[in-house]
Amino acid sequence: MTALHLHDRMFEVHPLDEHASESRLGRLDARAKLVGVLAFVVASALLTKPELVLASLAVAVTFAASSAIPLRHTLRLYLGALPFILLASLSLFLFVGLDNGVAMWARTSACVLALIVLASGTETFELFSGLRRLRVPAIITTLLMLTHKYIGLLTEELSRMTVARRARGFLGGRNLLDRYALKVISYTAGMVLVRSSERADRAYEGLKSRGFEKEMVGWRTKRIAAQETLFMASMLAASVVLLAVQMELVG
Amino acid sequence: MRCLEIHDVGFSYKDGTIALKGVSLGLEDGEKVAIIGPNGAGKSTLLHLVAGFRMPFSGEVIISGRRLDSDNADTLRRDLGLLFQDPDDQIFMPTVEEDVAFGPRNLKLDDIDGRVARGLRSTGIEELAKRKPHRLSYGMKKRVALAGTMAMDPRVLLLDEPTSGLDPRARKDLIKLLRSMDRGMLIATHDIEAAAEIVDRAIVLDVEIVMEGTMRDLVMAREALEKVGLEVPPISKFFGVLDAMGYQVENLPVSMDQAVAELTKVIEREGKHMHAHIHEHDHAKEADHAHEHSRGHKGQSEAD
Repeated sequence: MTALHLHDRMFEVHPLDEHASESRLGRLDARAKLVGVLAFVVASALLTKPELVLASLAVAVTFAASSAIPLRHTLRLYLGALPFILLASLSLFLFVGLDNGVAMWARTSACVLALIVLASGTETFELFSGLRRLRVPAIITTLLMLTHKYIGLLTEELSRMTVARRARGFLGGRNLLDRYALKVISYTAGMVLVRSSERADRAYEGLKSRGFEKEMVGWRTKRIAAQETLFMASMLAASVVLLAVQMELVG
Repeated sequence: MRCLEIHDVGFSYKDGTIALKGVSLGLEDGEKVAIIGPNGAGKSTLLHLVAGFRMPFSGEVIISGRRLDSDNADTLRRDLGLLFQDPDDQIFMPTVEEDVAFGPRNLKLDDIDGRVARGLRSTGIEELAKRKPHRLSYGMKKRVALAGTMAMDPRVLLLDEPTSGLDPRARKDLIKLLRSMDRGMLIATHDIEAAAEIVDRAIVLDVEIVMEGTMRDLVMAREALEKVGLEVPPISKFFGVLDAMGYQVENLPVSMDQAVAELTKVIEREGKHMHAHIHEHDHAKEADHAHEHSRGHKGQSEAD
């Protein structure tokens, strides 16, 4: 692996939105998805009995499978989170025991899978807009929306610079310690930051020119339909059942 | 009534580079004015000063009778609609209609549905309402950005290089659209032909105002244009040659439409007529056809 390959891998973009429209969840209101999934995540995080943790993982896997989001996409995102999941599970495995290590892996995986499906099955803007409609403070949702916009600008500038660099024959260094390649990559990073900052300024002026003050929310609000209520109720029911059984077993 | 006045405005960048010096101009309601100049002439800077994103070091900008300063910039900007050179810098929302509604919602204007409908209709993109802006062509994105600006119902449109990056058809359509709009416009551009189709008068800017007048006045002053690095449109050059050859040209045309009108006048005045015919284009027969055609003409001239 050369310095360039490592750099490209680090900045590779996995657009979360790419499968949102084709997913079964895509048509549901973001508020219903947020309430349902977050309730499930909280319930899963509170489970301690290994069999119940595995049951919650089964629910998450079923949820992912029925969402119509491509398995490859879900796995790719899950693999991104896996090092952190393994770190937490391994420490429990080493210091407490196998059961606890496996339970930690299953618990975290259930939460991560559910959140991946939520994020991939919803347009990012809709997700943040849904949070705002659930009364999350405007400062937080607007910051999230602007961060999303600016990450887009940053990756766009980076991909332009990468293409320009390749067009001029730069194919990476011989190895990870190639000083020339590292120098080129550091210049690229500097240029990307400068150019993104200029574009961010222009985007901010674009917002100001259209009367933006502090809040970005969607224009049309729809009412929660029966299909959305059903989804939310199913997720809440699964969460309540898991917690009830847990309390029964522990009590 | 004047909706915009700029008095003796000067501006320089942090590194000391002077961007604008002693610039003054006024814009009447509904008037369309082009600011023409080469790259680095200060056109975009001037638009940003008018929009209140930067404050001039000297002079003043008056919008709707009120002097612009950093305290009232957000309020006075409501009268202005700024169209950026790159539409991606001003499109934020996930669908076209949401994006068009973005400005009116922020300004808490009434009848947002009506404004969105009118904005989409006036720019000819009603059928794109539910589409995602980032998946549209560059030309369509420009229209979305313009629709968003129009929905705010500004008194003056500030357009930064509106025709840059457009393919010929999109450029032509946008020119037609801007020409049809009954609204004050200040257009920063180096596209002289496009400006000639849209504006009533123009200003040549190269840090300071070099000259001012109608587009025809500007093209007639070819040397002054070339001195600041601008080229007279090819069509104007062509008619200049015709004029030199003895075909008297009353008004030097700047755009193709004006050229057609002028050419018609020249032909009629010279007591001749144009003969045009339309036939199916067949590449296989093209060479023979051309050969026969030229033989016919040659024979005719020999007979003459």
